[in-house]
Amino acid sequence: MEGDSLELSQVGFRHRMSEPSRFNPWRKRLGPGVVNVSLELRPGEILGLVGPNGAGKTTLLRTIGGILPLQNGKISLASMNENAALDRAQLRNIVGHMPEQVRWQGKQTVEDALLELAEMRGKSIKRVKDLLRLVGLSQRSETPLSGLSQGMRQRLTLAAALLGSPKFLLLDEPLNGLDPVAATAFIRLLHQLKEKGVSIIISSHQVHGLEAITDRIALMHRGQLLACGSLESIAESLDLTTTIEVKGTGDMPKLDWCKDIIETSKNNQGWMVSLHASSADQLSEFIQQGVEVTSWAPKSPGIVEMLCAATGMDLDEVSLEIASAAMLPHRSLRGEEE
Amino acid sequence: MNHLLRIKSLSTRVFWERIRSTRMAIMFPILVLFLPGMAWGFSDPNIVLPGGHQPEGPMEIMFYASLGVVFGATMCGVMLAFDGVSRDRASGVFELRLAQPMPRTHQAIALMLGMWQAIFVPVALLILLSFVIIRWRLGEWAALSDVLIHLSATGLILFWYVVFTLLASSRTKDQGTAVAFGIGMWFLFTFLWALVTTMVAYASGVAIGEQNDAQWVALEGALDLLSPNGVYHHILETRLEDVDRGVAAWQAWVMALLWSVLPTWWFVRRMNDLQP
Repeated sequence: MEGDSLELSQVGFRHRMSEPSRFNPWRKRLGPGVVNVSLELRPGEILGLVGPNGAGKTTLLRTIGGILPLQNGKISLASMNENAALDRAQLRNIVGHMPEQVRWQGKQTVEDALLELAEMRGKSIKRVKDLLRLVGLSQRSETPLSGLSQGMRQRLTLAAALLGSPKFLLLDEPLNGLDPVAATAFIRLLHQLKEKGVSIIISSHQVHGLEAITDRIALMHRGQLLACGSLESIAESLDLTTTIEVKGTGDMPKLDWCKDIIETSKNNQGWMVSLHASSADQLSEFIQQGVEVTSWAPKSPGIVEMLCAATGMDLDEVSLEIASAAMLPHRSLRGEEE
Repeated sequence: MNHLLRIKSLSTRVFWERIRSTRMAIMFPILVLFLPGMAWGFSDPNIVLPGGHQPEGPMEIMFYASLGVVFGATMCGVMLAFDGVSRDRASGVFELRLAQPMPRTHQAIALMLGMWQAIFVPVALLILLSFVIIRWRLGEWAALSDVLIHLSATGLILFWYVVFTLLASSRTKDQGTAVAFGIGMWFLFTFLWALVTTMVAYASGVAIGEQNDAQWVALEGALDLLSPNGVYHHILETRLEDVDRGVAAWQAWVMALLWSVLPTWWFVRRMNDLQP
């Protein structure tokens, strides 16, 4: 299994929602979930699973982690026979799952809480101590769970996910609630794991912040995988271009000479101009024109731009979709229903 | 570590966590008042019960003192287990448990055993203390077989209540609903069952509450088989002389088996289907 890829083929799971009727108060219907997701998690890569709230990211992670059953499709290792598939017990053995924001509480100590989970895996106290050292909680091993900060709780949850020395690690919104210092330490830890060959999926509802961590991005919406690849390749396939964000202080300069302006804005701190990425060589022109530039940075398309481009919907439609409770999966790419 | 050891290890952790909890510290004095306290009261040589009856022998005294189990120990079992699933489910820890390779069936068994031990161990110790108190006051020991039957019946009724409560807890994500479920179920079998019995008697044309009416006694005995408290008392009555409510000992034990197996099966099934 060393250096093996995890392959998802047409994976599907839909939650059953309560829909009582006059004659059947227990009636259920199929609700949101994930539909026909095919994905490959390569050895030692970090994959960003991106989508708005309710896109199905958590459901997909739970399915891969063997917590939810597959209703259709299969999950297998690349080295396995073509028809073979991993069952839920096998998945739980090889996958480490870090749920979103576990609220550890009670009088139990950090070490004891982790040991309890370790015993469920047949792991020893030595493994627990090693992991507490790895995540930087060895000094806190006797602290009651109620006394942990949010960052420490996240570290403890990561330690729990690493108990089985997993080859595949699933992190559900791991950076939520972390301050910048804790987030940087967390990301450094992820890179250490990556160097050891662990494949990692990080789910997030934002693209920004993931660019620096991930090798590839998978874009999810309404339970479906809309695109997967590097940020540049997704942007290119969706005809989205990277823009350049130019900022300066004072009044907005006259930029009649500049043909590549997408938009301009002004606030109390100064002004901002967005340019097409093809204008990258225009910095010298700005300087020659005497414009005082304080910042010149490329800006990747965000999740909203990607979703709009992938679904063919405008911003209002997408945001209403996100807010809608009736998220029945359907494929809507460039306005065409499949 | 094999499966049995993992179940034992997890159940022992649940046991220690619950028995050291603040709520156990609050409930223990109540258990002391209800169990050895009642045994002390009913073993008073001068006690006269309604109808001029005086309890005879340790088992009859323990039968009357079993009201402490029905009213006190079962409620403590409910209070101890009401958040057995819901608390961890709400906090996200349950999802981490479900992500471990230990089969969910084993996790369910460990949870039931751990919760049950946490209430049964102190109750069993207090029952043994009750027998010592009776010996001190009456000068008579209960037969070992009687003690074992009493402990077994008490263990069973506590197990039933713990499993019902865990089932309720697995249906809810907030603590308020979980505790309402548990107490509601306790209330039904402890207080409202008499109402159910009365309604069935009324519908069947049986004179209600006539203790000398054979029809009423038989109906009450039969309906008690459908309640955990009733089955508990039927088992205790197998050790008493001159008690015949038309239910044979084997019927009481078969119902005890059903009361144990069905909720256990239901809870294990529920745990296997449960989503975080």
